[in-house]
Amino acid sequence: MSPAAITEPSPMAFRSSPSRSIFKKKSSPSLAPMTSAASYLSALSEADARARGLSKSPTSTPALSLSSSITESSEDTVLNELDDDNRDGLLFPSRAPTSEQVFTTVHTEFGHCSNEEYRYVSQHIPGATLEVVEKDPPYYILLTTYISYLILICVGHVRDFIGKRIYPGAYKHLMPHNGLAPLTSDFDSFYTRRLKQRLAECFAQPVTGVAGRTIVCLDRFSPDFGQSYILTGGRTRALNISSYNYLGFAQGRGGCADAVEESIRQYGVSTLGARMEGGSCDLHVMTEALVARFVGMEDALISSMGFATNSTFIPALVDKGCLVISDELNHASIRFGVRLSGASVRMFKHNDMKSLESLLRESISQGQPKTHRPWKKILLIVEGLYSMEGTLLNLPAILALKKKYKFYVFIDEAHSIGALGPHGRGVHDYFNVNPRDIDILMGTFTKSFGAAGGYIAGNKNLIDRLRLHGHSGPYAEAMTPPVLTQVIASMASIMGIGLPSSLSHPTRTLYSADGEAFQHPGPAAPAMLPSWINLPPALASGQEGETRLRRLAFNSRYLALGLIKLGFITYGDPSSPIVPLLLFHPGKMNLFHTLMKTRQTPIVVVVVAYPATDLVTSRVRFCVSASHTKEDIDVVLRACDEIGDVLDLKLGIRPSERWTVDEIIERAVELVKS
Amino acid sequence: MSFVGPSSSFDPLFAFLSFSLSKAESAFYSLPGSSVIARYVKSSHQNDPGRTVLELILVVFAIRTLLQSRTRNEKQQKHFIEFDEKEIDELVAEWTPEPLTPQLTPTEKSDLAAVPIIAGPNGAKPKVTKMAKPVLNLASYNFTGLAGNEHITSRAIETLRRYGLGSCGPSGFYGTIDVHTKFEETVASFLGTEAAILYAQSMATIESVIPAFCKRGDLIIADKHSSFAIRKGLEISRATVRWYEHNDLASLEEVLMTIEKEEKRRLRRRGCLSRLFGRSRIQVKYIVTEGIFERDGAMVDLPKLIELKQKYKYRLILDENMSFGSVGRTGRGLTELYNVPATKIDMIVGSAAIGLGAGGGFCAGTQAVIDHQRSNGMAFVFSASLPALLAVSATEAIQILSSTPSILESLHENTRAARAILDKVDGITIPSHPASPLIHIYLKGNTFSPSSPDATPTRFLHPSSAQNSPSLSIITKTPSSHGSSKQSHQSPLSLPQLSPSQIALEESILQEIVDEALSQGVLLTRAKRLRGQEVNEPKPSIKLSISGGSGGLTKKEVEKACAVIKSAVGKVLAKRR
Repeated sequence: MSPAAITEPSPMAFRSSPSRSIFKKKSSPSLAPMTSAASYLSALSEADARARGLSKSPTSTPALSLSSSITESSEDTVLNELDDDNRDGLLFPSRAPTSEQVFTTVHTEFGHCSNEEYRYVSQHIPGATLEVVEKDPPYYILLTTYISYLILICVGHVRDFIGKRIYPGAYKHLMPHNGLAPLTSDFDSFYTRRLKQRLAECFAQPVTGVAGRTIVCLDRFSPDFGQSYILTGGRTRALNISSYNYLGFAQGRGGCADAVEESIRQYGVSTLGARMEGGSCDLHVMTEALVARFVGMEDALISSMGFATNSTFIPALVDKGCLVISDELNHASIRFGVRLSGASVRMFKHNDMKSLESLLRESISQGQPKTHRPWKKILLIVEGLYSMEGTLLNLPAILALKKKYKFYVFIDEAHSIGALGPHGRGVHDYFNVNPRDIDILMGTFTKSFGAAGGYIAGNKNLIDRLRLHGHSGPYAEAMTPPVLTQVIASMASIMGIGLPSSLSHPTRTLYSADGEAFQHPGPAAPAMLPSWINLPPALASGQEGETRLRRLAFNSRYLALGLIKLGFITYGDPSSPIVPLLLFHPGKMNLFHTLMKTRQTPIVVVVVAYPATDLVTSRVRFCVSASHTKEDIDVVLRACDEIGDVLDLKLGIRPSERWTVDEIIERAVELVKS
Repeated sequence: MSFVGPSSSFDPLFAFLSFSLSKAESAFYSLPGSSVIARYVKSSHQNDPGRTVLELILVVFAIRTLLQSRTRNEKQQKHFIEFDEKEIDELVAEWTPEPLTPQLTPTEKSDLAAVPIIAGPNGAKPKVTKMAKPVLNLASYNFTGLAGNEHITSRAIETLRRYGLGSCGPSGFYGTIDVHTKFEETVASFLGTEAAILYAQSMATIESVIPAFCKRGDLIIADKHSSFAIRKGLEISRATVRWYEHNDLASLEEVLMTIEKEEKRRLRRRGCLSRLFGRSRIQVKYIVTEGIFERDGAMVDLPKLIELKQKYKYRLILDENMSFGSVGRTGRGLTELYNVPATKIDMIVGSAAIGLGAGGGFCAGTQAVIDHQRSNGMAFVFSASLPALLAVSATEAIQILSSTPSILESLHENTRAARAILDKVDGITIPSHPASPLIHIYLKGNTFSPSSPDATPTRFLHPSSAQNSPSLSIITKTPSSHGSSKQSHQSPLSLPQLSPSQIALEESILQEIVDEALSQGVLLTRAKRLRGQEVNEPKPSIKLSISGGSGGLTKKEVEKACAVIKSAVGKVLAKRR
């Protein structure tokens, strides 16, 4: 797409005036039906249908069918979608692909974008600052936010007081009965019942289909203010800027899904048991070797659940007499694991290297509490990319501290693996640091790889020890073959198979546990993959993977910088695919969510509030994906612009410094490269 | 005269003071409402000057508290030593941490190397990497023989095409897929409960259910040989835990009675107070146990357990990881076996990975119980939801189980056939329930030769013998943490506590049996334990999982496999003698 083409009004762009658009549900069939687009849409829909048809998925239900879980709940066949109009711009791209551009993906799962301008390389520019200046909102915002919570709490207590007397039946689980204590104390559940329930509309929205570029929500309504929901049977396809689908591997079609299908045919769906007790198969061994190669470590182990990776392997790393230094915003799974380990824990201020250093000096000089014996070892647990803040780990500073203070570093790369760095290898790739300088790398496959589960990588001795002493080894189910295959296929397509690296970035030579030398970040050796996996050439060459990485980097920066230029307060680094936009007021969360979802192009967003964040810094969190096209980000920016005006959210920069949304969309490439 | 001099030199100062005082006074009175405060202070001071002093102290104290840093209270502790920067630098330079992990011992290395790796699909007769021919599998959980079931496979592929693989988000954030809801409804109606909730891993389920309901100060009564996951759940909850003898409901009743007595005594002591303030708070009390115990295959007497729980007013969390999909006419678990309505149990926790051959775990109970977990079950809230195709596979498995009772019939027949052979084998004992398809094999007493120097029973009892063997360093490690201080003062174990060296010896004998059986074409596994992290060390055992149904082993094959076990046990023990 040439820059000139961008100036044309996109059919996806929303054309009615803000005041009209905001409070009207997507209706207005009178809106101009894309006459310019009509001609190619039919051709394109046929092409999309062909892409779907290629997979030869069984459409008839087998004779033994007892359940109708699929046929009954998801009748969205290709035919059905063709009947749909494309007014919301979600089914087909706004611009027809030319004859040279062949898209093998379905637009609803992975957006078509061939403009090479919309690419960027995710890497740290040496010398660039990592210090994030936190912008504070005006005092009136803070004050009114506190007042809103105060009112909510008062009203909640009054409702409890009156309700318990008038409708005792509704409070049965909070009161003792039959001599049993209440199931939950009304004090403990006050927040859930009286504050979170008012936001119930924003959470646990049932969905169906692939959580790709778009997602299909099952429409629901609540007859009792969020206590229960009834599905209406309708569906809404919405632009999905919420799923952790950073590289767009959540797909029901394409090379990875084909490989998974083959694996189900060969291996079935289960490995029947724990890794140490007859649940290990050859795919586990291959995946572990591939993961180790991907992150540049000697060895790696995998676990069937991301949460359990932290909660069951950290206890095998540290025990009594050890100190864990943990970032205050670390994920719940890390806290779970540390609590089980019995080690002492100290926390430092989020991403604050000064706070970390003073804590290190204090704990090393003081030793263990009371006895003052020296700590056996100190383990620093941090995350590569924080899921609620979008902040990046200051890895160079931590490694400098590590040299001086001799602690061990454990990096949880749940969100950063695959999403950061020119080769998608996470924070060490982003900062161009040798991975072997880090002791333990942990990550998940849920996010960038479209799979499930997690891994831990480190030196061979460490990993073998964790295999033996981690709780998951003997007691938790092993990862299943389809998931393993998805990990192998998506990871191999990011790395590329067998080809020497053609990238100009410096590579290092590292050695695997058995002494074999390999280039990092480099391609995967063909022998590392099962012989029955046949990835299409675009995936096998690593070209597609590289494009995805660069599209993600572009989209992340475009959205983050665009929102800042519009005047919003955002947190985190512009390179982060997680972009939090601050809302502050509890009331605005519901409103923002609803306004986004009821637009002509519905957008689903995630709002987060206390206890995931501070009480006052409620926010909406966008998760950008490589599957989004530039036009999708335009749609999000336009929506935010309009809603931001209505909800008074533009509190970041003065109006004179702001850009208009049209200016941002036009100068997107310039903005991203700034 | 001489007095005038100094006083006059201070005059300007006094003048300034009185001027600024009057200025401050007028400024104070110009504030709205200030006269009220002034009046209050004046009158209260006149009535009671001591009170003014007290209030002043209070104000100072409040300001001090406000200014005090709340995060660095370590420094205020009496054990804190002040160092200057140079001393800290020296201490930092001197400090040498232990290596992150010690080197693996030879035993650990051989343990790891002995883990069987299956080449290709797992099932009743898989290929193992070290063996040329397929082996009979008694190691993997395939009770219902649903592994590789064609119908499930085709449904899984269909789901893959419609839903992709990963859900890419936790349930709260667009990770609640309709197939998850469908599974939850299916489980609930299968068991006969109001509702159910699906977790992404079965081990994490119970670890998360217990702390969702039990907090510090609550009371949990648990079986002394509960599974590892239950123990970790108890530890995380920080509740007070009382233990009863393994699978001994008389011992449970004793514990319940003791607690009731303690409560009554406490109530009597606080009698007048509690009468003044109405009823006192009822303690949150739970009984946690397993249907079929993972550690030895024993089965709990459910009707008796429910009777006790109702009599003493407890809630019951029943872990049916091993019994769901393995006992009962259609695999509904203990409730079906004993014909007890599932609604009598407050929380049934089960696995979709073991009995259903898919993945994930679930908890079934009343709507209130399930709703509470949706915002308080840690592994539910903070983890991505289960891949759609696994949820569909599990749903299909339940449908197949409920419509095909012959699967469980053949499983039970196979179990009986296996027990008929194994019960008669010399040198081993089987603690498992006759109906349990999970069978543990213990070595009987002193079957090994006392002539072997390592095997002298008296040496086992001597703690120093543990230190002689470097391979046991991990076993002698103290347990990493205790869930509660209450654990320590309990009566002795029902099973004899084994010394570390005896455990190591028995494990090596059992491993020999496993290796011998594998060379004869039968895949077995030792029950792998985390020695040193388990609180009551379980006795070493071989864990057999019998399979049935069309995808499992036939009765003949089970008998053949058991005959192999018999000969392997005989051979290894004869060599030891």
